[in-house]
Amino acid sequence: MTADERELRELRSAVREFLEAKSPEEAVRKLMESEPRFDTAVWAQAADQLRLPGLAIPEEYGGDGFGLVELGVVLEETGRALLCAPLFSTVVLAAQALLASGDREACARHLPGIAAGRTTAALAVAEDSGSWDPALISARAQPDGDGGWRIGGGKCFVIDGTTADLLLVVARTVAGPSLFAVDRQAPGLAAEPMETLDATRAMARLTLDGVPAVLVGTEGAAGRVMARVLDIASVGLAAEQAGGARRCLEASAEYARTRYQFGRPIGSFQAVKHKCADMLVQVELAEASAREAARLAAEDSPEFPVAAAVAHACCSRAYVFAAAENIQVHGGIGFTWEHPAHLYFRRAKSSQLLFGGPAVYHERLLDRLGI
Amino acid sequence: MADNTQDFAAEARRFLDAHVAKAPDPAAFTWGEGDDSTAYFSSLPPEEDREHVQRAREWQRIRHENGFGWITGPPEYGGRGLTPVHDLVYDAVEAEYDVPDTGVLSVVGLGMIGPTILAHAQPHLKDRWLPAMYRGDAIACQLFSEPGAGSDLASVATRAVREGDEWVLDGQKVWTSVAQHSQIGIALTRTNTDAPKHRGITAFLVPMDAPGVEVRPLRQMTGGADFNEVFLTGVRIPDDHRLGEVDGGWTVALTTLMNERATVGSEGAGPVGAALSPDRLSALMRATWTWDDRALRARLAELLVDAMATGHLNARAGRTLRAGVAPGPERSVSKLMYAQNLTRAAHFVSDVLGPRLIADTGRWGTYAWTELLLATPALRILGGTEEIMKNILAERVLGLPKEPVSTAAKEVRP
Repeated sequence: MTADERELRELRSAVREFLEAKSPEEAVRKLMESEPRFDTAVWAQAADQLRLPGLAIPEEYGGDGFGLVELGVVLEETGRALLCAPLFSTVVLAAQALLASGDREACARHLPGIAAGRTTAALAVAEDSGSWDPALISARAQPDGDGGWRIGGGKCFVIDGTTADLLLVVARTVAGPSLFAVDRQAPGLAAEPMETLDATRAMARLTLDGVPAVLVGTEGAAGRVMARVLDIASVGLAAEQAGGARRCLEASAEYARTRYQFGRPIGSFQAVKHKCADMLVQVELAEASAREAARLAAEDSPEFPVAAAVAHACCSRAYVFAAAENIQVHGGIGFTWEHPAHLYFRRAKSSQLLFGGPAVYHERLLDRLGI
Repeated sequence: MADNTQDFAAEARRFLDAHVAKAPDPAAFTWGEGDDSTAYFSSLPPEEDREHVQRAREWQRIRHENGFGWITGPPEYGGRGLTPVHDLVYDAVEAEYDVPDTGVLSVVGLGMIGPTILAHAQPHLKDRWLPAMYRGDAIACQLFSEPGAGSDLASVATRAVREGDEWVLDGQKVWTSVAQHSQIGIALTRTNTDAPKHRGITAFLVPMDAPGVEVRPLRQMTGGADFNEVFLTGVRIPDDHRLGEVDGGWTVALTTLMNERATVGSEGAGPVGAALSPDRLSALMRATWTWDDRALRARLAELLVDAMATGHLNARAGRTLRAGVAPGPERSVSKLMYAQNLTRAAHFVSDVLGPRLIADTGRWGTYAWTELLLATPALRILGGTEEIMKNILAERVLGLPKEPVSTAAKEVRP
């Protein structure tokens, strides 16, 4: 199912209105210093009123059956508002990993709860290095003799890892990297919050000591599943980044129009004007690349993996640039704790590096192009 | 609408099948085979240049006779009366075929001057010139820039003085593409030195064979002469050749400029488009044993990210156009990126080639890149410099205030 332009505009304004009411700056600041780092009541309202968690989950699993285009609109808005909520971890990473696994039984068991907003979930891939390269996974899973598995090892950078009800963990078996479902309450599982550059995105370190787990999909197939999840998650992240970058641009333009120095608005100085124009160029490219990649995903186009890699690189760069320049346009006030500019700078840098950073995504693009 | 465009595409395909061969598959690029040109400017010797123009005219005539010469044009002037969508559909179909390059007719004349004549000229000029232009009989040029007025076009000093039913034009134009082949040009002239500079300009349609019009080729840094200087000395133009109101020429100029920026930013086919092809750039790295250079690979990736994101931006603008929304000032982003992408590609290639870019070893696909390298400074200037484009984005899209203008700058130069 795909929404038309008018429906997308309506979705955008409904989400924006909701976030202006429920996730204003003061709410973000309060949540980023609390544990858990999201407001369960607001998350429940996002599910009940806007059906956000189920938006991009197929109807057969209790969702509304939309795709990345519609989810992209939501993520642009949550990225813009720095919403503290388990949306990215649950809907973009975990739900997409379940879908990509092709395991219909696991989907039927977990996705309806996710779609309804009752279950939050996290995807645990990276370890100490932060890498998403399947070859660098050392957590191991072994059969427990009763058809189940037990996982040993550690995971890092697990978004919402301390709060998620369901953990999807990539661990190695004799057949290679495989995907497993682990219950929050499982014995042997410990999760501790990590201190994060971007306090609005909670991350955890997991310790798994013989934790009981259920295999999701085929043993040894997680490399392929992760490649697919990474393409989709890159585009989801790109939408968040494009939304955040647009917000930084708007803040800069607004300030440049109204802030007087040397007897004129600073935006009338060509140096400031061109800085803002450079931000606009980056933001326009970012939006186009994120939205086009989402469109190609919805069409199931063979061009999607390349477009996803382009969107990831383009939006990462655009957001870091816009967030950094936003501080410069604001001058000294932009460097204060009280001003929101640093929240965007932290989110931008953190997002850029989340899946490996420039050196990794450059090679990923060349790989997707067959170069 | 979908059915309608599908029928139209099928019709275009039948027409093209009957007249031209299919183009070779662009994906089937093989290192060392075919033309290795990366030229943005043609720079052909005069004899070949004339043949090239002749082939362009001939192909435009065939296109026109079959109903594809002016797809969006009004039927009373020989157009087909269809939508911009049909135009895009035709372009997409034609791209699959090996057709003569008609840039000499289309980039300035059909892309910018045609729409301006249609919007601002009197009916008898439309009757006289529009069918001729779209049939390939007449080529048009843009007599805008002057030695003293580049991107600050409103500072034009070429004078037009009224004498009865005629105007007498005196001045010098520069950077005029295709003037040497043109039958007509649109000139911006100063008709009022007392008014603010944007309000004292009048536009005229100038027959290029009128007494007093002299075209001199201007050799540029690529070595070729794609531009011209045009001298207007006592050129007498009837008042009915005026476009728009007296002193209202700036409105006319804006019609042309909006079309220019949309045109320049959306280019992408031909040898210049090939310069940004992943296949060609990666083949170059293989051929030069720089394949595993990490720094160069990162730069190649960055280059491709920008080229592809610009492509996405243009594709989305195309779809917006199809939905009936006119292109806005944000199209300047494409113009800026187009120049930047090709500039960065040229410098990337020069770092891959090293000394092989400074002298010709005779090896395929190496020294040929100098053609692109030498064109890049022009790409950042033509159609408006980067500074002008950024001012447009900042002022018209972001609403930032204009630079305060001093009293001295308000005066029009003599």
